Amino acid sequence: MIADIGLITLTIAFIFTVYATFASAYGGWRGQAAWVESARNASLLAFPFLTVSVIVIVYSLYVLDFSLAYVYDVSSQAMSPFLRVAALWGGQQGSVLFWAWLMAGFVAVVLLRKWERDREMMPYFIATAMLTTAFFVGVVLFITNPFMRLWHIEGVTEITQALFQPANSMPYFPEDGGGLNPLLRHFGMIGHPPTTYLGFTGFVIPFSFAIAALITGQSRGDEWIRTTRRWTLVAWIFLSIGLILGGRWAYDVLGWGGFWGWDPVENAMLMPWLTGTAFLHSVMMTEKRGMMKKWNMVLIILTYSLSLFGTFITRTGVISSVHAFAKSALGPAFFAFIGLTFIGSVTILYLRWDTLKSEHSLESFISRESAFVLQNMLFLAITFAVFWGTIFPLISELVTGAKITVGPPYFQRVTGPLFFVLVILMGIAPLFAWRKQAVRALGKAIWIPFLASLGIAGIWGYAHRMHPASILGLWMAGFVLSGILAEFWKGVQARRTTRNENPFTALFNLIGRNHRRYGGYIIHLSVVLIALGFIGDANFKLETQGTVSSGEFLTIGDYQLRFEQLRAYPGSDGREIIEAVTTLSQDGEAIRALNPRRDYFTVQEQPVTVPGVYSTPGKDVYVLLVGWEDSGQSATFKIYVNSLINWVWIGGLMMIVGTIIAAWCNPGQREATYVLKPGALTSHSLLQEG
Amino acid sequence: MSQPTTHEQEEQSSPTGGRKNIGIIIAFAVILTLLGLLAWGLKKAQAGPLDKGMAPDFSITGFDGRTVTLSKLQGQVVIVNFWASWCPPCREEAAYLEETWRKYKDKGVVFIGVDWVDTEKEALAYIDEFDITYLNGPDIGTRAAQAYNIQGVPETFFVAKNGELRGVHIGPLKSPQLDEKIEELLAEQYP
Repeated sequence: MIADIGLITLTIAFIFTVYATFASAYGGWRGQAAWVESARNASLLAFPFLTVSVIVIVYSLYVLDFSLAYVYDVSSQAMSPFLRVAALWGGQQGSVLFWAWLMAGFVAVVLLRKWERDREMMPYFIATAMLTTAFFVGVVLFITNPFMRLWHIEGVTEITQALFQPANSMPYFPEDGGGLNPLLRHFGMIGHPPTTYLGFTGFVIPFSFAIAALITGQSRGDEWIRTTRRWTLVAWIFLSIGLILGGRWAYDVLGWGGFWGWDPVENAMLMPWLTGTAFLHSVMMTEKRGMMKKWNMVLIILTYSLSLFGTFITRTGVISSVHAFAKSALGPAFFAFIGLTFIGSVTILYLRWDTLKSEHSLESFISRESAFVLQNMLFLAITFAVFWGTIFPLISELVTGAKITVGPPYFQRVTGPLFFVLVILMGIAPLFAWRKQAVRALGKAIWIPFLASLGIAGIWGYAHRMHPASILGLWMAGFVLSGILAEFWKGVQARRTTRNENPFTALFNLIGRNHRRYGGYIIHLSVVLIALGFIGDANFKLETQGTVSSGEFLTIGDYQLRFEQLRAYPGSDGREIIEAVTTLSQDGEAIRALNPRRDYFTVQEQPVTVPGVYSTPGKDVYVLLVGWEDSGQSATFKIYVNSLINWVWIGGLMMIVGTIIAAWCNPGQREATYVLKPGALTSHSLLQEG
Repeated sequence: MSQPTTHEQEEQSSPTGGRKNIGIIIAFAVILTLLGLLAWGLKKAQAGPLDKGMAPDFSITGFDGRTVTLSKLQGQVVIVNFWASWCPPCREEAAYLEETWRKYKDKGVVFIGVDWVDTEKEALAYIDEFDITYLNGPDIGTRAAQAYNIQGVPETFFVAKNGELRGVHIGPLKSPQLDEKIEELLAEQYP
């Protein structure tokens, strides 16, 4: 059986990861290169073995081998080949395998590329990264194994799941499987889990380097940061894409007209994103000025711990969520692992605190340095607010006996002002000089963007007098936007005058000459665009609901929806579709036909609401078919007008572009980035010194 | 930790060392507290919702002012549904619940809707939207939710005529799951 091959390679991969953890730690401790080399080979081999296990599962999903319990749970004959493959992450067993595989892949790539450059840190890097990988592979093997088979035991009516044939049993082959949860059959949900997992698992690289740097004392310098900067960016952008695709999925499928609901599952992703973003900025201080080393260590440990913490609370049912999760056997093992990670990293940090002294002190309150300190504090404050709101039900139940869930208003009120200050800071901090910023020069740099933003906010404010809060939000967006555009403008003008280039060549070369800086600006621009989406959602959302008969209208704002009729027809993936035929008009003039529908998945007996959306850069008209009466003669619709929402998705795309530019190697800098310190090969392991 | 250490501070080793020790004590205290909290939460989560034994008794006052006590309903089949207006899966089952209630309300079946961590305005709008006519009330202090150790919403508990729990359904109910369960419980003998 092909599934046996997958089980065997999974077992071998587990042995390799465990071996690599201990061999590298031992080799590092005793200073024996042969052990470390052997651990490296074992780590490199774990990945292809896990790859075979993943291929076996994907193949089984594709050919519908229903004798495997996992395939029976998440795949079905009605599903397209593409969805069958995506079912790899459609259930817990496959998800954890996929997770372990990605992590092993990241580690393998790092070991292939960076081995010569950071030889001293490698034993502890391998030990940390492989311990984590071994944990996840172990969970797949022992707790949530996707290679479990279905068996029919004589005299027992229920079908049994087991890896090996139980006594008196026959293999059981169901004719068809349950199939992927219909809510997951959407491009956002197909792309959301892999990108999120890439983000979460990717942070294991900077985290493991940080721990290795602490153990070896390399944390005094900044090589570990230079080595991991790109890895951090990769993890960060995948987490960002994961967040945006998750939002898009919620908007398209969950049918409440929004994209962010402060659900524990969403918060679990947001928290590591926040601290990861702070880390990405904060490391620049260490590179340029040798400062904030303690901050960086704390931030990367927090980021990694929060990604584990978030996975733990949402996957084990500790915090209840709208997404009703079944009881999971992962709990105790996961708990032990996060306990070990938290306590282990803080202990190492404590023992090595003295290696993290700053090389310089703050010289002025208005400087690039102090702006970085402020931004770190803001990011941490937002993270803490989100964390507190997420675990509050648990705390309140322990203290008062009543479970109190804090809703979206808490999160909006607490984090809103902090985000506001953070976005403003994002606009002006890049203009600050290192060490000391002259106030007069700063004023000179920002007066034009400031006036421009006042102008935009004034015009906007006049047009939207009834939404005063939006004026402040738009002033913020206008100020930061014009500030960043002014930076591009200045750079382009300088090139035009000194090199006589045309504006497009000048812009291209400007970005080309300094990827990090201008890539960063593009990311900042994208954040402003995403903020626009949140401003629109908070201030301008309209919503209405009503039942109309054929030929009647529902009105919202200056839009009218005319209901024509209902029609039913069979769709792909085993669904029955009930679709409303409607026409959307604005001020009496027909714009287009909209077809909101209900897809009923017959096998799962589950309906999915698919909105009809009329989308423009300014707003979406989002129509849901809520229900119908009199065999389709009348129907109930819910309509939302979501202003500025599309800027969230546009900003998301721009963020990806900006990150690619920022992560690109600058020509000529490649060699200089990795200079090995003289004497770096002499070992100072923590244990020898201690 | 929040401020970068200056050269001057580094030279005065004893205050830094003292601060460092206090810092680490606080850090460990926070971590251990958090781990303790998580362990407690995990233990509760692992226990899962109740699904057998005597159904825990509770009283609930509906939005319409009627009060009902579970233990006084013996002899009837009771369906206890936990829901919230902010919960999309609850909306999927709302119409089916109401329809089933109308079908069985004169046949010795009682439905109790327990509105979990919700706000009254939205809850009433929800009841109005689905035209729900069986008793619905807020779970004040989440007492009922804790007695039944619910993990989230929607969850539906089935109580037999003799007051014993006969299972729980996690997630939205779909036709004909509830009909089948009610028929099964109605068929049970009660003295």
